[in-house]
Amino acid sequence: MQDFKRKLKAVRKTALFFGILSLLLTSLSKLMLRISMENESFVKSRNKNITGIQKEPKNTIDALILGDSLSYSAFSPMQLWEQQGITAYVCGQSGQKLQEAYYTLLTAIKSQTPKIVILETNMIFRDQKVVSSLQTTIIEEGSYRIPLFRYHDIWKPLLIGATYGEEMYKGFSLREAVVPYTKGEYMKKSTDKKEISEGVQYYMGKIIDLCKEKNIELLLAATPSPKNYNYRTHNALLNYADERGLKYLEMNLLQQEIGIDWNTDSLDKGDHLNLSGATKVTEYLGNYLRTNYKLSDHRKEAGYESWEKTGKEYSEKIKEKLR
Amino acid sequence: MDTLMNILTEIDSSIVWDQENALIDDRMLDSFDIISLVSEMEGAFDIEIEASEMVPDNFNSVEAMRKMIVRLQGS
Amino acid sequence: MSYHTSAYLFLFLPLVLLAYQITPKKVRWVTLLAAGYVFSWMVSGKLVIHLIGTSLWSHYIGVWQAWLKLRCHMELEHASKEECANIKKNYKKKERTVLAGGIILLLAILGYLKYYNFFAQNMSQLSATLGRREPLQAKALLLPIGISFYTLQAIGYMVDVYWEKIPPERHPGKIALFLGFFPQIMEGPISMYSQTADTLWKGTSLKGEHLAQGSIRIFWGLFKKMIIADRLYVVVQAIFENYSQYKGAVVAAAAVAYTVQLYMEFSGSMDIVIGSGRMFGIILPENFRQPFFAKNASEFWRRWHITLGVWFKTYVFYPVSMSGIAKRWNRFGRKHLGKHLTKVGISAIALFPVWLCNGLWHGPRWSYIFYGMYYFSILMCGIMLEPVRNKCLEILHINDQMFFWKILQTGKTWIIIFVGELFFRANGLRAGIHMFLSIFRDFDLNKLVDGTLLNLGLDQADFIAIGVGCVVVALYGIVRERNLMGERKLQKLCLPVRWALYYGLILAVVIFGAYGVGYQQVDLIYAGF
Repeated sequence: MQDFKRKLKAVRKTALFFGILSLLLTSLSKLMLRISMENESFVKSRNKNITGIQKEPKNTIDALILGDSLSYSAFSPMQLWEQQGITAYVCGQSGQKLQEAYYTLLTAIKSQTPKIVILETNMIFRDQKVVSSLQTTIIEEGSYRIPLFRYHDIWKPLLIGATYGEEMYKGFSLREAVVPYTKGEYMKKSTDKKEISEGVQYYMGKIIDLCKEKNIELLLAATPSPKNYNYRTHNALLNYADERGLKYLEMNLLQQEIGIDWNTDSLDKGDHLNLSGATKVTEYLGNYLRTNYKLSDHRKEAGYESWEKTGKEYSEKIKEKLR
Repeated sequence: MDTLMNILTEIDSSIVWDQENALIDDRMLDSFDIISLVSEMEGAFDIEIEASEMVPDNFNSVEAMRKMIVRLQGS
Repeated sequence: MSYHTSAYLFLFLPLVLLAYQITPKKVRWVTLLAAGYVFSWMVSGKLVIHLIGTSLWSHYIGVWQAWLKLRCHMELEHASKEECANIKKNYKKKERTVLAGGIILLLAILGYLKYYNFFAQNMSQLSATLGRREPLQAKALLLPIGISFYTLQAIGYMVDVYWEKIPPERHPGKIALFLGFFPQIMEGPISMYSQTADTLWKGTSLKGEHLAQGSIRIFWGLFKKMIIADRLYVVVQAIFENYSQYKGAVVAAAAVAYTVQLYMEFSGSMDIVIGSGRMFGIILPENFRQPFFAKNASEFWRRWHITLGVWFKTYVFYPVSMSGIAKRWNRFGRKHLGKHLTKVGISAIALFPVWLCNGLWHGPRWSYIFYGMYYFSILMCGIMLEPVRNKCLEILHINDQMFFWKILQTGKTWIIIFVGELFFRANGLRAGIHMFLSIFRDFDLNKLVDGTLLNLGLDQADFIAIGVGCVVVALYGIVRERNLMGERKLQKLCLPVRWALYYGLILAVVIFGAYGVGYQQVDLIYAGF
């Protein structure tokens, strides 16, 4: 009996210890998240989009864009707003991995009810070794449940006032430099398929299931990028989309329709699009969304005044830059 | 066995030898002290001390040293 | 997968603990051994074969020794008194041959894998200067993780059996587990068979207090590595990789920074490793004992990488100083040269192989050999100048216990340490010499505060974190050195205070650790040896 009582006491003590610990972690997480949301310049660039989406007024974002650096180079939510009245947000990150995309989506739908998720497909070919994949999963799952792990570094700007200010329009990265791509045709026909790794397939599955569960449309989009895409990737994506019954927009085969000119639209020799390229791609996407999906036009609606205001600022800005 | 006490006092006359039993653990004898001690012991008692004997148990106290000497003399 | 990564801390370690606990007691050693081999395989793949082979070989040598000892015993029973000494001598010789063969094979493989390219390079350079062209091609040789550590443990086992310190082990699994306990694989600590083999084999159930103590120890290690070491890495890397651009106080600062980084990381890893062992109820030997409190180089090496020093003392220093040559010198010296010169002689004879091996053990580089010889020279100077030093102290009426003298000695030792580590880290011996000499050019302390140090990848906040972290570690070091609070006293502190300290530690690591966006993961330094 004594032994049992002692064991019970030990168990209670342990439970109390971990209880207080989780209380500390969650309250610090809330605090750090709040500070990050209130001070955009305290947030490091990689975390800006996931923080930004949590700041948006609830249930106002209709289109969520996931992907790596191609996504925030090619899609401009403010342009989609100006031209179609669609409220979109780019939650891309440089070199984003599938796990990060999945957990970003999970975080976003806590406060948003998007009708469509557009997934830039380049990250599907981002391979990961088993151990580092496990690590990323652990870190992402941990950061999702305890945001303190993501925002822990906030003590630095609080202490010495470091700033990571950057020009951001709902996640879009505005860059006008031009370094042309000159190597010509890159979508040469072939029957090869590039491999999609098991780890990627697993997390794609999770994203697909989540979208199905929450009634969100999922669109796979390959933006024009000679460095990253070719016919092999196209075949792989076509096959994958067919197998899973997903819609797939291959922009690399629609270069003419979009009006891509690699002399003016490339940021860095065909890896990313610049502002000029993004304008064309976004316009095409906007029309595509209007034709194929029922997305509301929120212009002139109450509650979207900030979009109106930012939209006008944005239009002015790019008019100047594209002159 | 006064020979042993003579040897020890020669090495360090400030230590009260028979009252200590952590000579190695407390670093009252360092590695070089032990080497000269071994050399003296071998000469005085006609024994051969090998590397396998270099453990604290054999040198931590005068008593331990005596035991080791007797053992090595017998074999 | 290193000990400070999330894969180890949050996946591997908990899984092994779970598997261990649910396995029946008699078979738990298998679980631990499997964990060790899985761990080794994840880092080195097929090379885990070498670890398995070393265990089997050690076992075989031990068994052979046992057989020889048994034969000797049986023959002695039927022998006459005169023959006894001869028989013993014969068998001793046979055992020594077997032992030598056992050791030589392991060292030969280690030597080949680790030093072949070094040998080839130097041979090629030599034949080039001699005008001949016989280049030995460098080969792509991979080292199994931990080879430098478990090879020493294996040799230790074989020698201990020969010396009859331990009985030869019949069960190969026990030896395999001794050599392949997963926390020890990457960076040690190097344990002796009598220290860990039995507890590893026992399979004692996990206990709450062990899990708690182990976890706290792990967090303390993470504190040192993630807050201090990983930050210093950035600065150290920047300066050492571009050393020609820096001189004066900046290079001196780099040497200090590297020493602190190395200490925080290596001792931090040891905390994680020893903490991991503690969770299973296994006590691994300590590798550090407040090294910066050392008052001379000799004492430093009794406080830094302790298990390596102990290994060299037990298996190199004493055997050499008890060898025929050494004893002959001792006898000669006692008769003709007096105490001091005899001591100098014996020190040189015994310390030279120790320090040559210490240098070489770290790797196939001239800078490591230089490092070993550097400490050899310093220790020899210390020994040779001992009578002079004692006389000076007498004349100046300074005794060893005076506070200011202790400070002076510690300061002098710090300089010796920092210079040593400068050469240790430099990209080769020539770079080391260049960096060392550059300290004396334009030594301007202003350079340390004019912003140069902020252009290397760390900002002011990082330096503040390093500074505060070091103060915390130093304070804890003082507590340990003065024995102000052992583990028992810590337990006696009232619960709220204890828990506050634990929460403080955990939150410090979580908040101030150099992980996540904007930081890169830093590999373990000693895992490369």
